[in-house]
Amino acid sequence: MSFLAQLIIWINILTNNLGRLLLAPVAVLPGWLSNTIISAVTGVALLVIFKYTSNQRAIGRVRDNIKAHMLALKLFKDSMSVTLQAQGQVFKGALLLLLHAVRPMAVMIVPVALLLSQMGLWYQSRPLMVGEDSVVAMKLNGSIEQPWPNVNIESMPAAEVTMGPVRVLSKREVYWKIKARENGYHHIMFQVAEEQVEKELVIGKGFMRVSAKQPGWQWTDILLYPWEKPFGPDSVVESISIDYPDRLSWASGTDWWLVYFFVASLIFALIFKPLLKVRI
Amino acid sequence: MSASQRSQNLKLVILIAVLILGIPRQAQAYIGPGAGFAVVGSFLVMFTAILSGVLALFTWPVRYIIGAIRGRRAFARSRVKKFVILGLDGMDPSLTEKFMAEGKLPNLAGLREKGCFKRLATTVPSMSPVAWSSFQTGCNPGKHNIFDFLTRDKQSYQPRLSSVDIRGPRRTISLGKYRLPLGKADIRLLRKGKPFWKTLGEHGIFSSVIRVPITFPPEKFRGVQLSGMCVPDLRGTQGMFSFYTTRAEEKVEHTGGENYYVTREGNTIRAELIGSENPLRKDNNVLRCPFVVTIKGDSSADLKINGVSCGLKKDEYTEWIKVDFKAAPGIKVHGICKFLLLSTSPEFELYVTPINIDPEKPAMPISYPAIYSTYLAKRQGPFATLGLAEDSWALNEKVLVDGGFIQQCINMDREREQMFFDALDKVRHGLCVCVFDGTDRLQHTFWRDIDEGHPAHRGQASDEQRNIIEELYQRMDVLVGKMLAKCKGKDTIVMIISDHGFSTFRYGVDLNRWLEENGYLKVKGGPREQKYLAAVDWSQTRAFAIGLSGIFLNLKGRESQGIVEPGAEAVQLRKEIAEKLAGLRDPERGQGVIKQVYNALEIYRGPYKGESPDLLVGYNKGYRASWETAVGQVTEKVLHDNTKAWSGDHCIDHSLVPGVLFCNRPIVTEHPRLMDIGPTVLDMFGVEVPKYIDGKALAVADTDSSRSRKE
Repeated sequence: MSFLAQLIIWINILTNNLGRLLLAPVAVLPGWLSNTIISAVTGVALLVIFKYTSNQRAIGRVRDNIKAHMLALKLFKDSMSVTLQAQGQVFKGALLLLLHAVRPMAVMIVPVALLLSQMGLWYQSRPLMVGEDSVVAMKLNGSIEQPWPNVNIESMPAAEVTMGPVRVLSKREVYWKIKARENGYHHIMFQVAEEQVEKELVIGKGFMRVSAKQPGWQWTDILLYPWEKPFGPDSVVESISIDYPDRLSWASGTDWWLVYFFVASLIFALIFKPLLKVRI
Repeated sequence: MSASQRSQNLKLVILIAVLILGIPRQAQAYIGPGAGFAVVGSFLVMFTAILSGVLALFTWPVRYIIGAIRGRRAFARSRVKKFVILGLDGMDPSLTEKFMAEGKLPNLAGLREKGCFKRLATTVPSMSPVAWSSFQTGCNPGKHNIFDFLTRDKQSYQPRLSSVDIRGPRRTISLGKYRLPLGKADIRLLRKGKPFWKTLGEHGIFSSVIRVPITFPPEKFRGVQLSGMCVPDLRGTQGMFSFYTTRAEEKVEHTGGENYYVTREGNTIRAELIGSENPLRKDNNVLRCPFVVTIKGDSSADLKINGVSCGLKKDEYTEWIKVDFKAAPGIKVHGICKFLLLSTSPEFELYVTPINIDPEKPAMPISYPAIYSTYLAKRQGPFATLGLAEDSWALNEKVLVDGGFIQQCINMDREREQMFFDALDKVRHGLCVCVFDGTDRLQHTFWRDIDEGHPAHRGQASDEQRNIIEELYQRMDVLVGKMLAKCKGKDTIVMIISDHGFSTFRYGVDLNRWLEENGYLKVKGGPREQKYLAAVDWSQTRAFAIGLSGIFLNLKGRESQGIVEPGAEAVQLRKEIAEKLAGLRDPERGQGVIKQVYNALEIYRGPYKGESPDLLVGYNKGYRASWETAVGQVTEKVLHDNTKAWSGDHCIDHSLVPGVLFCNRPIVTEHPRLMDIGPTVLDMFGVEVPKYIDGKALAVADTDSSRSRKE
């Protein structure tokens, strides 16, 4: 798993740079528009990938077979034996379609995951606004029996610590409450035992790239929170997260951006399907 | 795939599954469109299937009750659950007997032993459209209005198809260079009467009717139907092949096909498929579909058409290739055709079958319900839809060689077999009818091999020593064997029938020339061999011939330029011509040409007998209406040697070419007729035979007894 985590870190370096470049318009466009554009481009691109990574002839045969059995349901509807047989064949066809989708899914799962991680930086949370409160949580490595390190947060002009640290010993977590003061991308500095660590803090309006969590040495977290360099396996700190507020929007709000992306990309893929002669 | 490859693939699948399951909290990470639409597509299919399943289950009791009520009416008195009729167009009883005696048709011989084998009387004239119309209606031609492939237009004397009338939509809207139709094209079936499967349907009995001739356009009834003979190609003709060649000769005119001269640039040849006239354009420009052939060697090439590439191999047909013709922005007409590379050097030669209507997206109704052809296409892939699908014209015109034509017939029989066997599986109770045409086409074109006296006989020096017709009968016997294996139930009756038999066609008789010589027809000055009766002087013509079956009087009040008074003059003229023509002899061979001439008014009964040719000519064996007569030409002699591949025929006296009747049960009736089959089916299903039907139910033995119920 260590190798996988390291691999994802390297890939993240590439995708962060690509994301910074390609998703930069998100900052200036309305959320619905940027998400629609990304969905359209992604839908068509993945459609093409699907075309060349799947067995189109076999999918075509299965689809034709399914359609034939669906039509048989209508043509011979008075025959229960034909109806049941046709139903069985349709189910079989649907399962075969799933099997035929495995290879393209395997190919697409990595780029799609990386893209969604990059999109999540923009849409999943909104930045803190000046005067707004939030909670910073730091999770420490080690077991609860281990000695508790000295943990301090350095003062900074961008945000004021209004409460904390509050330690939850059973979880080895430390919490601070902060109040945002200055717009921009900032860094909160922490002193943990002998180690100095930092976490990005984003304050502002509109769309900004927000990294809600600086992950630890866990490949799934590294994949999902790609922006900040993860803490190493030997670090005292496991992760630091900031509780950013939810963004409220059907097209680009928290969680909904994903639903919108999924539906819009599907629609664009379906629109372009006949033009690109892809059977799915 | 080797075992190690399979094992590797399995490991890959497991790894992917583990990866997916390993990150369940991050579900959003793998729900992308790429994976998503595949998954969603699959689930949509399942959802639709479940929905339709639930609907089927919930409505099943209602449908069962309705079906039971309907079914009881018929099945309560029914003596069978299933009736299967396999039509083998043109199967000849004499040849069948010969091959059975030689032990070459074991399945048919077995059927003869177990059930019966009889000669089946055909219609006057003994032609497929007439005979199959009598089969389906149970009536004589005077009641179903089909007397030939062709009839004449009473106004223009031009030949036209006797079974169907296709006209464009009545009203259109003009929009720039386009003409948008309001409504559908008007396609009318000219066959009158009611098919017996429609009567069965009225009594709740389901039928599957596949490729029975003269069923275009398809009619509504309780069952499924795929139309047969007379379905046009995409150009609206009865089959127009295309032949592309670099051979720069004089302009060649083919019957039933077109020659296209193409030029070769390096290894590339560019050409176009020609479709129908564009119904949406005011200028009626023909639709075109360009294609490119790139020659790769002596025996192969690449074909690019409609953005699709496929390989061409010399003397091998491609699969059916879908071709789209753009009629207007966003509107396409869909067709299918096969390509056959005949030669790449020194000259390029490419044959393309007539462009068939695409059964998946038919441009015209070719099945009932309309989705039935789509169902078949989805189930078994594209298939020939053209009425006369086997391209005998291309063979006649020497574009196709024998092997190419035989392969085409075999391929089409395979397609037919698939749909027939599917119908046998699907229809547990009811009627299944399927007609195979290959038997007719191959006997038409290869009779020259078994008739040593034929002008087109190839002799022993022929490089093809196969007995094509014997092989054909053996193939049909295998088909019968497979069918019988699927019809083992005691409650199933199986019949194998043919609409007529076969005989040799050595000499063509130019009836128009004979009429001219005998003073009944006058030819105008100028070129006399013009087609479609264009050379005839109607002001002095009392009788003329067109089509294959008979002679029309130029009757006043019926024909637009008629000169023969109806009544006594017409009666006398019919009698006079019939008597004279019956005495026509072949001086070279010293034999009579005509067996009998029939007066339509005497042999037909029914409301349409006036539409028939006035006289129907029953030729002796070896003779038939000449090729020229069929298309209304007048030549300079009465008898012509027939040197075409089309060397066997059945358009002779009906008594000389009866069909066959095999049944898996004994039939007592001494002289069964084709028009008796429909009434027999009705009778076996317990349905009263309507009084207007001319046929009589045959006396078929019951299941466990060899005694006939009607004995």
